[in-house]
Amino acid sequence: MARISIKDLQKTFGAHRAVDGISLEIRDGEFLIIVGPSGCGKTTTLNMISGLERPTGGQIVIGDTLVNDLEPGERGLGMVFQDLALFPHMTVFENIAFGLRVKKMPDAEVRRRVAAAAAAVHIEALLEKFPRQCSGGESQRVALARTIVTDPSVFLMDEPLSSLDAKLRVDMRTELKSLHHRLGATFVYVTHDQAEAMTMADRIVVMSKGRIEQVGSPLDIYNRPATRFVAGFFGMPTMNFVEGAVVASGDRRSFRADDVEHPLPAAVPAALAGREAVLGVRSEHVLVGDGASLKGVAQLSEPLGDTTLVHFDIGKGRRLVAKVGPTAAIEPGEALTFQFAAEFCHLFDVHNGARLY
Amino acid sequence: MAQISARAADLPSGRTAGQGAGRGLARWLASDRVFPKIPYVLVEGLIIVTILIPFILTIYISLLRWRANRPFETATFSGLSNYEVVLTDSLFWASVGRTFYFAGTAVAVELVVGFVLAMLVHQCTRSKKLYTTIILVPMMIVPIVVGYNFSMIYVDSGPLNQLLAPFLEPFGIDPRIRWLSHPVAAQFAIIIADIWQWTSLTFLIFLSGFSALPAQLINAARVMGATPWQIFWRIQFPLLKPAILIAVIIRSMEALKMFDPVVLLTFGGPGTSTQTVAYFLWEQVWVFNKFSFGAAASIVLLVMFSVFIYFGIYLLVSQRATVDRRAA
Repeated sequence: MARISIKDLQKTFGAHRAVDGISLEIRDGEFLIIVGPSGCGKTTTLNMISGLERPTGGQIVIGDTLVNDLEPGERGLGMVFQDLALFPHMTVFENIAFGLRVKKMPDAEVRRRVAAAAAAVHIEALLEKFPRQCSGGESQRVALARTIVTDPSVFLMDEPLSSLDAKLRVDMRTELKSLHHRLGATFVYVTHDQAEAMTMADRIVVMSKGRIEQVGSPLDIYNRPATRFVAGFFGMPTMNFVEGAVVASGDRRSFRADDVEHPLPAAVPAALAGREAVLGVRSEHVLVGDGASLKGVAQLSEPLGDTTLVHFDIGKGRRLVAKVGPTAAIEPGEALTFQFAAEFCHLFDVHNGARLY
Repeated sequence: MAQISARAADLPSGRTAGQGAGRGLARWLASDRVFPKIPYVLVEGLIIVTILIPFILTIYISLLRWRANRPFETATFSGLSNYEVVLTDSLFWASVGRTFYFAGTAVAVELVVGFVLAMLVHQCTRSKKLYTTIILVPMMIVPIVVGYNFSMIYVDSGPLNQLLAPFLEPFGIDPRIRWLSHPVAAQFAIIIADIWQWTSLTFLIFLSGFSALPAQLINAARVMGATPWQIFWRIQFPLLKPAILIAVIIRSMEALKMFDPVVLLTFGGPGTSTQTVAYFLWEQVWVFNKFSFGAAASIVLLVMFSVFIYFGIYLLVSQRATVDRRAA
């Protein structure tokens, strides 16, 4: 049983609150990814689950056992570190076997299990090599095999793909996901890369300043961000934000920002009328072209092959980004018209960033 | 003068001929052809002046029959006879053996104590800098002060014997140990003084070794269930091997030249029981004026110590070389 229950977990370093009272239920067999910017407390949280950091307050329960006072080796976990932490003076075989050797497992059993773990990540040919003789991708697999071999019920991973180049990272994402499927273990994975979180996770935990901003499925996080921070953190390019106020007139709702006024869905609560808010809209929901009523001036065009990003100015120094078709030819300085896909507009509180709609 | 004036006139206004020549030299030195060679000239110049010339002179003197209290013109070529004298001198060999004994004992203890201290200080979460500073103090004290202090500590009624008395008296042992006048005790006295002063250096080397170990390796081992002893024995100790070998080599090179504590504490005595080879050479050359004998003995020692030290360096690089060969 590899359910992890975290209750009011806290960690302070001097006066700094690295983790500020988070609570979280991680389900058995789940691939949970904790994501957030540097210093948000995600690695500290992972280290507290592993036992490498002692919580200042709160509880961590793995299965049915309160593990706060257990040593890392007593928690039945496997962990892959950011820099992989392969032992440089040992061969790949000995690296993988280390966790078994310290438990004084018979040599024949060690050999059998190392061979099985190596086969699981396709590194049978590397067993006699030293880590320094392995490429980045191979080292990554060695670190995985070293974790698999002890058959843990929970895998903890601290940005394990951050040292790989972009292509290898994409390949390893696929491999990790299939490994999760095959093993059926609980994966808790920490990253600052939203693409890794979106592609691999069953659920994502977004953290900022030691607190959880939102927990949800990748599409939930993307389509219904709970806060302005989450909305801005996910999506490439980042979501467009415009400050203004909600206007209600009968059944019609609209958003006004100085001279710019844009209709909102009728479902926007009337109670928001007159309230200052931040309108958030993703670049793919900014529609540029004929029929649109709002005006802007193109500043920059970035062709990406499958799409083109157009940065344009809507006055008073406010800039928006629109994702248009790959063949759209919009030159800098060119006047354009645009509108938002109203059903994909988000409203956030000006002060605390909480989602209003 | 007219020519000089004419040249000066050729230069742009405001420059003298000297400035022009200086600039020309600077430009020549900065040229791609010359500039990369400057470091080699400096290094080779230093090697020639500080190593090669004295080395050749030493070999030359070792082939002469010459005493320093006689004019150099009276020196005669004697071939390898000085070497023959050195190699058959029982006092020389006794001092060599004693030097290896002193150095071996002192360095072994310095390594163990320095390692343990470094391990303990590395694990300290508080006052680490304070402990480090305190432990490094002996290394920074002038040897003559160390020698003076230890001569005070070792006197018959001194603090060391006072400390030992409660442990020795119950067994009927006279607590007034003659540290500096008993042949065996004097050897220990010198070794202890060396250990006290130079454990700081091994501590420093090991502490930097411990600090350079990536914390994630230890964390990985902890997560895999390794005990502190397993982490030390299987991870930290093997990774500290290069630091250990460096400490062995540096301290052995110094300890084999052990001279200060011998002069300051015993003057080689009682008898010759604490005569190290450095002291033996000093006595032969500066007391008995046997320059040629000293030069020959120096060359013999150089060869002997070089073999010993290069063996250590070979061990240091061999592990790395094995891995590199496998990678190739």
